[in-house]
Amino acid sequence: MSPDRLTGAHGIGGAKDLPLSPELAIAGAVAALTVSFIVLAVAWRSPRYAGAAGGVVLPGTTRIVDSAAFRMLLRALGLAITAYAAVAALLGQDLLTNPFFGMFFVWWWVGLVPLSLLLGPVWKAISPVRTINLLFARLSGSDPDRGVFTYPERLGYWPAALGLFAFVWFELVFPYKTELDAVRLWCAVYLAVMLLGGALFGSRFYERGDPFEVYSSLVAKMSVWGRRDGMLVLRSPQANLDTVEVGPGLLAVVSVLFGSTAFDSFRDSNAWVRFLQNTPAFRDHGWLADVANNLALLVFCAGVGLVFALGSMLTGVDKATRRVDLPDLFAHSVVPIVVGYIFAHYLTYLFEVGQQTLIQASDPLGDGSNLLGTGDWSVNYWLSYHPTLLANFKVVAVVLGHVVGVVAAHERAIQLLPKRHQLTGQLSLLVAMIAFTVGGLYLLFAA
Amino acid sequence: MRRLLAAAAIIALPLILSTGCSESPGPSDSAPPERQTIEITFSDGSVTPNGERVQIEAGTPIELVVKSDTAGELHVHSSPEQQLEYGAGTTTLKLTIQTPGVVDIESHSPARTIVQLEVR
Repeated sequence: MSPDRLTGAHGIGGAKDLPLSPELAIAGAVAALTVSFIVLAVAWRSPRYAGAAGGVVLPGTTRIVDSAAFRMLLRALGLAITAYAAVAALLGQDLLTNPFFGMFFVWWWVGLVPLSLLLGPVWKAISPVRTINLLFARLSGSDPDRGVFTYPERLGYWPAALGLFAFVWFELVFPYKTELDAVRLWCAVYLAVMLLGGALFGSRFYERGDPFEVYSSLVAKMSVWGRRDGMLVLRSPQANLDTVEVGPGLLAVVSVLFGSTAFDSFRDSNAWVRFLQNTPAFRDHGWLADVANNLALLVFCAGVGLVFALGSMLTGVDKATRRVDLPDLFAHSVVPIVVGYIFAHYLTYLFEVGQQTLIQASDPLGDGSNLLGTGDWSVNYWLSYHPTLLANFKVVAVVLGHVVGVVAAHERAIQLLPKRHQLTGQLSLLVAMIAFTVGGLYLLFAA
Repeated sequence: MRRLLAAAAIIALPLILSTGCSESPGPSDSAPPERQTIEITFSDGSVTPNGERVQIEAGTPIELVVKSDTAGELHVHSSPEQQLEYGAGTTTLKLTIQTPGVVDIESHSPARTIVQLEVR
């Protein structure tokens, strides 16, 4: 199989969404701009969400959710799906009809976002690497939470940021991503690193180093599910978002997520495709085009991080706060922007390729079997047939994400910044966030 | 908070109004679309067109007239994907895309995006 340098949408092929109309993109940008300044002008002036105090306790739910039986059930479910995928990966055919591709690129990577948004930290509950680490600990009679060393907290979220970059690099620029060997190898390395990390540092490693757990748990902070003193509580997403644990590398995590999604829009744009094909050096040397794509992905991720770091640091601070800590202290406010943009960018892909994967999953070995009874279903393209509705949904998702993000940043500014810098100190950050949202809309328009 | 919500509602209003009435007429009330022809030429390892966007109405029969010095294959990245083979000389390939979206037509040797169909 030749390297699929040009395969379009996302990880695996298929049609892509139509670009947004200019009217809609501009309407969205104007809305984002206006909302930003209205939040700055009229929103509260003293912290509302400080501490993880808020939320309504649902009687009895904590006992069910934390019960050994419920935990085991979720672990078994995660392990079963993983085993099913592993069978397809190891014994299935090296064709794009192998459901393993869809499970990897669509169910796992994209599906995790809506699941975590609805149900909370899903990956933590079903993660097969956590389960295997747990089983090892049981067998050896050790504590799964403790490793040989304590996790060095100064590493923070950096291992997860690296892992996330490894995924988006594989999905978006690696030329052989549609070959079974390559995806298998990626998964094997992931499994090995996770098990080693768990053995060395205990399960704290997964909270900071498993790219999928960090991603899922961050998105879960926009769900209504929270914890207070160990009790399960129902909480407004806005208040929940304020409880994101700050640590080194948090900005790197959100920058990789946002930058890579923006890059995905960009690399499919007609301008970039034609630029690579019209420039003789790139046209005649495939590897040079690969280098250009690698660089562009890096530039997008680093660019997001730099713009946000600059935006959050251009403020007056008091003596108790170090300026260099500000980017990570504010980074949680990019999470809603990421989630809104991910929905805008991936909804059709998730809906359509997700269904196709379910159909293919019925025949994991490609021998014509119909194990799940879904093999004779056909994909519903309803969303693609309603392009206007889809375009409206995209803009609303992006603008809504922006609003939640701006409010989160405002709340944090009021908690952190000295009184006289609380409003002016937010301005540069606001500019950075508007740049992300308007840039995202522009890419959806120019796609 | 209430003031914030009210402000958000005021802002959302033009967004809804500006997009609500831009619904394009469905395929049912338009005349049957005409055929659209796209010429593709392969020679000495290069292809024309070179990644151009072509606007097309959903359901329009498309004829790809491929002129080539060698046989090969076109990859149509529609959902589901399609592969069309052509021989040396001139081959006319028929294609209809029903689902709106952007569909890339590519060749793998040389690795090029030939056209991006913007199906509306």
